[in-house]
Amino acid sequence: MAVLKPDFDSSPRGPTDAARHREKIKEAIKRDLPDIISDEAIITHSGDRIVRVPVRGIKSYRFIHRHSDGAQGGFGSGESEEGTVIGRRPKPGDGQPGRPGEQPGEDYLETEIELAELVGMMLEDIGLPNLRQKEVQETVVSKGWKQDSIEKHGVAPRLDKKRSIKEAIKRTEILVQNLMLNSGMDEDECRTALDAAQGDFGNALRLLRTAKNVSLPILGTGRPADPSGIFLESSDLRFRTIVEDTEYQSNAVVIAMMDVSGSMGTMKKYLARSFYFWMISFLRVIYKRVEIRFIAHTTEARLVDELEFLHRGESGGTSCHSAYDLATALIDTEYPTSKWNVYPFHFSDGEDWDVDRTVKSLEKMLERGVANFGYGELRTEHSSSVLMDTYRKRLGLEESNFENLPYFSGLRGQSPVLGVIIRNKADIYPALRIFLRSGKPGKAGKAMVLT
Amino acid sequence: MDDIDLKKLNDALIREIASEFGLDFIPQEFDIVPAGKMLEILAYRLPVNYSHWSFGRDYEMERTKHEHGYSVPYEVVFNSDPARAYLMETNPLPIQVLVMAHVYAHNDFMKNNRHFKITRRDMISSASEAAIRFRRYEEDYGRESVEKLIDAGMSIEWNIDPDELIRPETEAEARERLYGWSGALVAEGGFDDVLPVKKKSKSREEKLELRRKTPPEPTMDILKYVIENSPVLSEEWQKDILSTIRSQALYFLPYRRTKIMNEGWATYWHQKLMNRLFAEKFLSAEEHGYYNLYNSRVKAHNPRAINPYLLGSALFQSIEMRWNKGRFGPQYEACSDAREKENWDLHLNKGLDKIKEVRRTHMDWFFVDEFLDEEVVEDLQLYIYQEIDKGDHLDLEVRETDWRKLKRLLVQSLSNWGVPRVLVMDGNYKNSSQLYLKHEFEGLPLDEQYCRKTLEHLHSLWGRPVYLETRKADGDGAGDKLIYFIDTEGVQGVTL
Repeated sequence: MAVLKPDFDSSPRGPTDAARHREKIKEAIKRDLPDIISDEAIITHSGDRIVRVPVRGIKSYRFIHRHSDGAQGGFGSGESEEGTVIGRRPKPGDGQPGRPGEQPGEDYLETEIELAELVGMMLEDIGLPNLRQKEVQETVVSKGWKQDSIEKHGVAPRLDKKRSIKEAIKRTEILVQNLMLNSGMDEDECRTALDAAQGDFGNALRLLRTAKNVSLPILGTGRPADPSGIFLESSDLRFRTIVEDTEYQSNAVVIAMMDVSGSMGTMKKYLARSFYFWMISFLRVIYKRVEIRFIAHTTEARLVDELEFLHRGESGGTSCHSAYDLATALIDTEYPTSKWNVYPFHFSDGEDWDVDRTVKSLEKMLERGVANFGYGELRTEHSSSVLMDTYRKRLGLEESNFENLPYFSGLRGQSPVLGVIIRNKADIYPALRIFLRSGKPGKAGKAMVLT
Repeated sequence: MDDIDLKKLNDALIREIASEFGLDFIPQEFDIVPAGKMLEILAYRLPVNYSHWSFGRDYEMERTKHEHGYSVPYEVVFNSDPARAYLMETNPLPIQVLVMAHVYAHNDFMKNNRHFKITRRDMISSASEAAIRFRRYEEDYGRESVEKLIDAGMSIEWNIDPDELIRPETEAEARERLYGWSGALVAEGGFDDVLPVKKKSKSREEKLELRRKTPPEPTMDILKYVIENSPVLSEEWQKDILSTIRSQALYFLPYRRTKIMNEGWATYWHQKLMNRLFAEKFLSAEEHGYYNLYNSRVKAHNPRAINPYLLGSALFQSIEMRWNKGRFGPQYEACSDAREKENWDLHLNKGLDKIKEVRRTHMDWFFVDEFLDEEVVEDLQLYIYQEIDKGDHLDLEVRETDWRKLKRLLVQSLSNWGVPRVLVMDGNYKNSSQLYLKHEFEGLPLDEQYCRKTLEHLHSLWGRPVYLETRKADGDGAGDKLIYFIDTEGVQGVTL
């Protein structure tokens, strides 16, 4: 018989090496973060919180052939004829110009990762692994009313019937015990007597003693014994008290403003959109509740929904003040800075028809005590921009440089303003890092406080 | 699996019937292992092997497949002496019998196929010892440096030379042979017909040139050349790791070169054996039905790949039929009358002898080239598909069903065990220890991304600049030479 018992080294290495493989995937994702965050497939991903990201560089590389026309394929078998579609798969690097994955020969594996994990990795990469909710200001929000305590006095509507009955039962039981002790009669007789005396201890005891002496059944007043045998007295009554229920919440609202005038091309819009997507994802880590409102503007500003914000282009000129005015009105009516951490962001190509008025409107908005105002100027080679320069002079912004990306920030927190010039996709990640790193407290002392 | 089952699994019975059919074995042993261990053997290629993330990745893939119920009768058999097979304990009994029959046919194949005959048969213990040594290297030299070296070694693991199995040759020996001095060196085992023709004596200049040249003649065993000649790999542990990778690759080379044949042979025979067991009432009708179900899974069509079990067994059946009926040779080929061909039967009954001969001499490349015909292609509905861009997704679409074109491409994909032929031309290029490689262009270009990454690995092993000469992806004729060059600055492509 040659069927043997196993004699292998039983220490399993599969799971350990599989863990190492996953570790490598994570390393690769981290290395590719700048590419991943500008991946349109991720940011247009709606609904569930799991995203697919491309992972490069962890395949088993060796010399292999490639079919000369570049189309991948292979052999197969089974019922078919020419033209039969035997399967389909998602396109790598979905339809986005210039994505590395679209270059011929570029090769990567796709893996699934939770968006939250990805954001966590980015925060870690940015050097902010310890973002905690407690570090931002919390606001008190009413949730309605809640029960606070139970009292012996109160008004009828707040009578707690259940608790009152409970008290009565408790007291009745004590009376019965005492009657048994004092009269020497058994429990049934005591209850009947108490019942006949309608809950009065003295009368019940007297009844019992009389009955004992004459050895007569306790018939009481002839009224049938109440099976419940419970007598409610005013001392048994319990009332509820209520207080206003509040909660400490950390709420943030992003007021996303974007210039949708003719001069903003698809690429510029895409840059703005990428930026917003990640900014919101980050804020969701920090705040319990993040709202986002979209304002599209040309010479006039309108509140729009996300779809329209990101996809509709209009022609016409640009007056940024209209957007700021609308944002200020929104803050006043819906998002008072006493309850909300307000993050207005504005993307524009920097062409503005009425710079003076725009600066004034901006100042007015800043006076409301917003947490941080971010301004992203999307520049192409030929654009003539006036806005960033104006902001720099008028608001006293200081120029700095981060990873070759120039940015402008308010001096020592005097104004919670941060401006970045974005030229292409590669700038998105550094821009996000700038915005997240610069946790300058605003006037109200709230902003992202970063460790 | 309890004792009664084990007794019922009497492999002597299967062996007896298989012997009656004329199969011929190395002694066979079976290990019955839990699922986790089975998946590990599949991923690590051997029962115990060294640690590497790529094995971990494969383990996870196997586990996912297993958990999602792509259940096939799991079995692995190693070319060792005695031959060692691993069966999964969760296989139900009729499947375990099927698997044992399958294993016996593999065993016969490994004993008799000329490409298997020459490999070492102690790889199981050798790999498990390597695992221990590698773990020690990790402790001594750091996990990362061991991992990096394995990464690099594995990137050229298939760039080896099968002749090394027949007759390993040192550089000095190769030089002697090329000088023409090696008349005394005749390979053992009757492989003279496959060895290169001995050349006549060289001129004085040629000999001087030969003395200087390294390698003395272009070699496809890049891994061996790197191990022996790298200017930067000085430590024994490094050479040990790479040599282990190489010896495992040499061990698995016959598996790679005979995948279709080997699985086809095993499938062909397990069907025969199972039907016999059923006919002789060793299996109940219910058990046989169960077997049939699993057997159809083994031979299932794969829309995105060729199932070697299916194609291989179909080819052996076709050969058997043709040689039984005499449907071969010039007379049959010359016959143009379709009806006559269809009824052609010379009652030769040479089928069984023929398939046994083929299993002795062939490997996939020649097997498919010689025996794949229109009938089999149409019978199995083999095709070539391509990924077609449909805007938001890719459609996998059947593009080619013509049996001649399909066969040509299939044979091409099987040549050189599916690996591009890349030769070491010069290990002292520009007289400064630079490595010059040449891709022998056979119709398909190299995948650029894979090529660049592989060169990075190679550069980490060689330490000096590395060149790779190939052809441009779109160059279909002569010219369009492309040279990749890698040094510490990274890979650059130069078109000449």
